[in-house]
Amino acid sequence: MTEEHLLKGWEEFEPGATLFSFEGKPDQEVHHENNSVQHSVADWRVDKPVHNKEFCIDCQFCWVYCPDTSIIPDVDDKGKGIFGHIDYKHCKGCGICVDVCPTNPKSLLMFADHLPVEEALRQWPEKEEKK
Amino acid sequence: MEQNRIVWDGNMAASQAMRQAKIDVVAAYPITPSTPIVQNYSQFVADGDVDGEFVMVESEHSAMSACVGAASAGGRVATATSSQGYALMIEVLYQASGMRLPIVLNAVNRALAAPLNIHGDHSDMYLGRDAGWINMVANNPQEVYDLNLCAFKIAEDYSVRLPVAVNQDGFLVSHTTEALNYLPDDEAYKFIGDYKPHNPMLDPEKPVTYGAQTEGEWHYEHKMRHEHAMYNSFGVIEKVLAEYKELSGREYKFVETYQVDDAEEIIICMGSVAGTTQLAVDKLRAEGKKVGLVSVRLWRPFPKEELAKYLGKTKTITVLDRSAPLGSTGALYNEVAAVMVDNGYNAVLLNYVYGLGGRDMTIDHLTEIFNSAKECSDAGKRVKPLIQTINLRGKELSFY
Amino acid sequence: MLELRWHSRAGQGAVTGVKALCDVMAHEGKHVQGFSVYGAEKRGAPMNAFNRVDENPIIDHSKAMKPDYVLVIDPSLVYTDIHYDIKETTKYIITTHLSKEELLEAVPAFAGKEIYLVDCIKISQEEIGRAMPNTPMLGALMKVSGLFEIDDFAGSMEKLLYKFPQKIIDGNVKAIKRAYAEVK
Ligand code: SF4
Ligand code: SF4
Repeated sequence: MTEEHLLKGWEEFEPGATLFSFEGKPDQEVHHENNSVQHSVADWRVDKPVHNKEFCIDCQFCWVYCPDTSIIPDVDDKGKGIFGHIDYKHCKGCGICVDVCPTNPKSLLMFADHLPVEEALRQWPEKEEKK
Repeated sequence: MEQNRIVWDGNMAASQAMRQAKIDVVAAYPITPSTPIVQNYSQFVADGDVDGEFVMVESEHSAMSACVGAASAGGRVATATSSQGYALMIEVLYQASGMRLPIVLNAVNRALAAPLNIHGDHSDMYLGRDAGWINMVANNPQEVYDLNLCAFKIAEDYSVRLPVAVNQDGFLVSHTTEALNYLPDDEAYKFIGDYKPHNPMLDPEKPVTYGAQTEGEWHYEHKMRHEHAMYNSFGVIEKVLAEYKELSGREYKFVETYQVDDAEEIIICMGSVAGTTQLAVDKLRAEGKKVGLVSVRLWRPFPKEELAKYLGKTKTITVLDRSAPLGSTGALYNEVAAVMVDNGYNAVLLNYVYGLGGRDMTIDHLTEIFNSAKECSDAGKRVKPLIQTINLRGKELSFY
Repeated sequence: MLELRWHSRAGQGAVTGVKALCDVMAHEGKHVQGFSVYGAEKRGAPMNAFNRVDENPIIDHSKAMKPDYVLVIDPSLVYTDIHYDIKETTKYIITTHLSKEELLEAVPAFAGKEIYLVDCIKISQEEIGRAMPNTPMLGALMKVSGLFEIDDFAGSMEKLLYKFPQKIIDGNVKAIKRAYAEVK
């Protein structure tokens, strides 16, 4: 459902269907109400991706491929880019990150959205033997 | 104001006005008969007379797209096109107006193919009728120059912020050389004023999205905001034209009239045929016939109220449409008919489809049209077909 | 209103001639109009161009006219129909190497018409260096019409051509004056 406060009257819109990203300067990082950061798509999800850092090689494929910028990277002590966390407010559950993850077993897998992460990690599969 | 007298054709008049407006970007793909407008402009760029960018693109669709990009980035932008090029631009014309970008388009009106024809008629202007642009019509090179200067000022007014098309008849105006007066460069620029970008895309301090997707919850509101701006523009256009008159001494109105006060037969038309019609009026007035002329200057927004002032007392109104309506009455006829109904007026209405592909319309033809209309006023009702043709070879052709 | 119809071939400079006449007349304070009937033709195809000159603004945008002068700048066009829409007083100025007698014999349609002959092709070839019969035709027109003193007109044309190399300007001025002197 569209949030009520966004349903303005015609005279309240900027001309040209223009939308802004920030309130004030960008470096203050106050997001405008129209910025997609302000809007959760978590309820679109049926399954959610779960990350298992035991197998992750920090290749960042998932970060590159996620269409909703919901893989949030981090840096380690040496300044190297690593997997950080999943932004569950904006992850829509498409599974692309799982598809591109190159490890065996995969370091990202889809589980039912309601399943707790600890339980998902307990169910993690073994390494698959090459046939 | 001291003005310079010069001999230009309609195309050069447009190019020179663009030069004086100090445009940031002209993106264009040349097409007859508008080619010289952008060719002249590219020469100005090459000669260092202007410091804007001239972008050659690979189609008119790209030309208007580049204009939309440049205008949303925050620049003063203009281009020119005709006919098939106009048709190819159509999709992006809607983008430009929906994004409320004050682009100026010189539309040199030409027939639409098939069959292929490079000469003037209004089928391209009619094609763009509902694209959300302000449309003005210039009937000679002087008017092309004047209305171009006004177009920038109207388009860029914050309460309007809509693109403006300045229409002129292909060849009959675009390639017709006439003497005209033009303002000194600095005065012309001062009249238009500096460009004030509004929410420019190239402002890293304020990132902005243009033309966002607006599904059911928002689309209607945005469109009606556009509609509201269109109606708002009446006042702004009037103000700008008045300022221009003050400066140049040349007066422009939403509809131009000639001998209408006591006229029993009125012709309503658009474009260069208005001058020829004026001469037919003179000729018939000399014979004691009460005829008059209304020439529509502002095609969009359509000046319903202004037009209504002149149509209440006449006995017949003949509307000239320079485009084949192909299955109905002409677009200008329909506008006039609506004004008649809205005001409870009762004149006999007649419609001529004329001048297609540059077919000549002479004083004699216009006299014939007036005389034919007179038969209706004498009879007190329409005794002629509703839609007629003039200067067409073959068996007489009319409809209804 | 003074009306002129040019008969030319595309590429011979009739449009430039029309514009030049407009320019000069406009600077004399007259209202002018110059246009041509374009087709999709290539260089060499017969074409028409037109001038209107008047004391009052010219608002007629139809192509219909009964010209006061018919200017023929290509010699071969005398064999085509150039006699439509004329009036009794229409004067013809024709580029040709023929004498009046030879022309009347070759084209009987000229019988009874007021014709003036001048070889603008030869004049332009000799004075300008290529066959550009448009400017000498204007010189001949000045003689026949008496619109301007030839020195005034040549002076105006010189100003108009300022963008060209001096050699071309001088050639044009000479060609204009020679056509003025030679037209009969
Ligand atoms: S499931 Fe889709 S949206 Fe969610 S993190 Fe993975 S790629 Fe991104
Ligand atoms: S694709 Fe897999 S291995 Fe690579 S960073 Fe993402 S989770 Fe780790």
